[in-house]
Amino acid sequence: MNVLAEGTGEYLRVDPDGHRAWVREHKSRALVSKLMSEQEAVSRFVQDGDYIVWDCTEVVRGPMSLVREIVRQRKKELWCAGKFTYVIPAMLVAAGCVSKADMGFFVGWGPAINRATHEGRLRVYEYGNTVMTTRLKAGAMGLPFLPLRIQGGTDTFRESGAKVVQDPFTGKPTIVVPALNPDIAIIHVHQADLYGNARVFGTGIAHTETALAARKVVLSAEEIIDTEEIRRDPGRTSIPYYVVDAVVHAPFGAYPGECSGYYASDPERVVEMFVADARDAWDEYLDKWVHSVASHEEMLDRHVGMGRVKGLIQRASIKEGYRP
Amino acid sequence: MSVLKPAVGTAATRFAEREYQICITARMVEDSRTYWAAIGGGPLYAILLAKRLYAPQAIYVTEDGVIAPEPVLPLDPMITGVASRPNYRALMWSNMNGVTEHAQLGYMDYGILNSLQVDPYGNINSTWLGTYPAEGRRMNGPGGADAIASLCWRTILMVDHQRRKFVSRVDFISSPGFLDGTPDARERAGLPHDTGPWRVVTPWAVFDYEEGSHHLRLIARAPFVTVQQIVEEMGFQPRLSPEIEVLELPTEEELLVLRAELDVRGQTTGVGRWVEQQEDGTWRFWQEKGGPLPF
Repeated sequence: MNVLAEGTGEYLRVDPDGHRAWVREHKSRALVSKLMSEQEAVSRFVQDGDYIVWDCTEVVRGPMSLVREIVRQRKKELWCAGKFTYVIPAMLVAAGCVSKADMGFFVGWGPAINRATHEGRLRVYEYGNTVMTTRLKAGAMGLPFLPLRIQGGTDTFRESGAKVVQDPFTGKPTIVVPALNPDIAIIHVHQADLYGNARVFGTGIAHTETALAARKVVLSAEEIIDTEEIRRDPGRTSIPYYVVDAVVHAPFGAYPGECSGYYASDPERVVEMFVADARDAWDEYLDKWVHSVASHEEMLDRHVGMGRVKGLIQRASIKEGYRP
Repeated sequence: MSVLKPAVGTAATRFAEREYQICITARMVEDSRTYWAAIGGGPLYAILLAKRLYAPQAIYVTEDGVIAPEPVLPLDPMITGVASRPNYRALMWSNMNGVTEHAQLGYMDYGILNSLQVDPYGNINSTWLGTYPAEGRRMNGPGGADAIASLCWRTILMVDHQRRKFVSRVDFISSPGFLDGTPDARERAGLPHDTGPWRVVTPWAVFDYEEGSHHLRLIARAPFVTVQQIVEEMGFQPRLSPEIEVLELPTEEELLVLRAELDVRGQTTGVGRWVEQQEDGTWRFWQEKGGPLPF
């Protein structure tokens, strides 16, 4: 293919055969229990230097108990997909966990991100949300790239890993983006069985593509359900077990965000995150919500409490579409 | 033909500029057309207001793959995608790649976006203010705007009417307008044929793009500003349409829907500049500081 223009941004190496070899060697096809704690899942599957993707945000169905555990374990040199998210990248940068990010959308104007950028502790490559999810889709299809028709001619394109090629079929200029096969995906789901067959209700960003594309997949689930229930309604399965490495039972795992159909978000506590970013107060925030407690359960006990949780459940009045 | 549908209701004399901007945009919306609207703020309120007063059969989609929702209002203070209230009673729940592909197929007639900075050719900056990447400040990135601006047939851009927002050259092109303005610039860059910026709506004016040059052109003004005031508050000289229409004021009915049903906390519309007509017919402007939430 004739390359007409190309971005200059570094991108995670594209290697579909390498990914297949990883799948052959590391992904068990056995139906075995993968149930474990956040502590064990993050310690076993998130390595320093990994490329990490999470789905959704701290406002709705983000894998927040896993994100907090990554901070607790002080993982380093992560490269994150900062797509369709708000202040999680800033929090991970402030915590010293992230040193590279592919931009899609995150709150980038805060002091933590800007200081790290200007001091050279953070390198950001430019994409948009849907360009990132297309990259994940290519990764999920086992392909080296996908064509798409977004972003050509922009400075975003220039600072990305995309190219414009002459499409061999129409002869017209077409944008192609490199596949993304992240090292680790963390995804919060409504229901999963202990093998990792998982159900997401409602919309999402790219949970299925993300899980399929990643080398290692850790799910946190509101509910652990019987495999018999999965078999009763297989069309509901969003993620198949063999792509999953760990299943964490994490009720209120999206807190302070919403898990649609199950509980509403806790606005005051979501705002607390945005305020921490705006006021450059992540240390204080993380001391309270991460380091002062040993686990997600302890955080819920000490900083949230049953009374508050009950209110969040009551406010989730919309159930249609969120139950089989 | 007028730029907008006739306003429904009685002219108001005291309103926030952003309220008016939403009203203007809402009056452009057509029944049985598809709109890909940014998930929060002005673009979302414009389509919701339009569906209440001007185009009940207009269809909208959002970036998280929601097709034609009937949202539960008012929305939560943190307006976001994937949540149950904005996504209620949709016709389909898809996902981000799903709605992007629908747009790439040509099903999205209009996109509605906000912009931090815009140039004469409708190129949008939401990435960086200053000299990239050495000096200045990172912003939030294109989000879904790059896809909306690339793939919808026509893009409507909502911009505050300020000199620092209309610049001859944006600091960073996050999402594509007409690029350098030359014919077929978008096609040469790999974007779909016959797409691009269509209208720019500020609280003071409506612009289109001059055929051929793809340069921003003033086509309508608010009754409380002159053409000269509009141009003075821009960092470049727009083209001027031979006939510049005077827009109708916002109406009490529009403001009631906005204030009592949509933006009930004034998060989007309560901040920024306000406008009031005095007893003698002249207009007074003042700045309202801050909103109830920090974002």
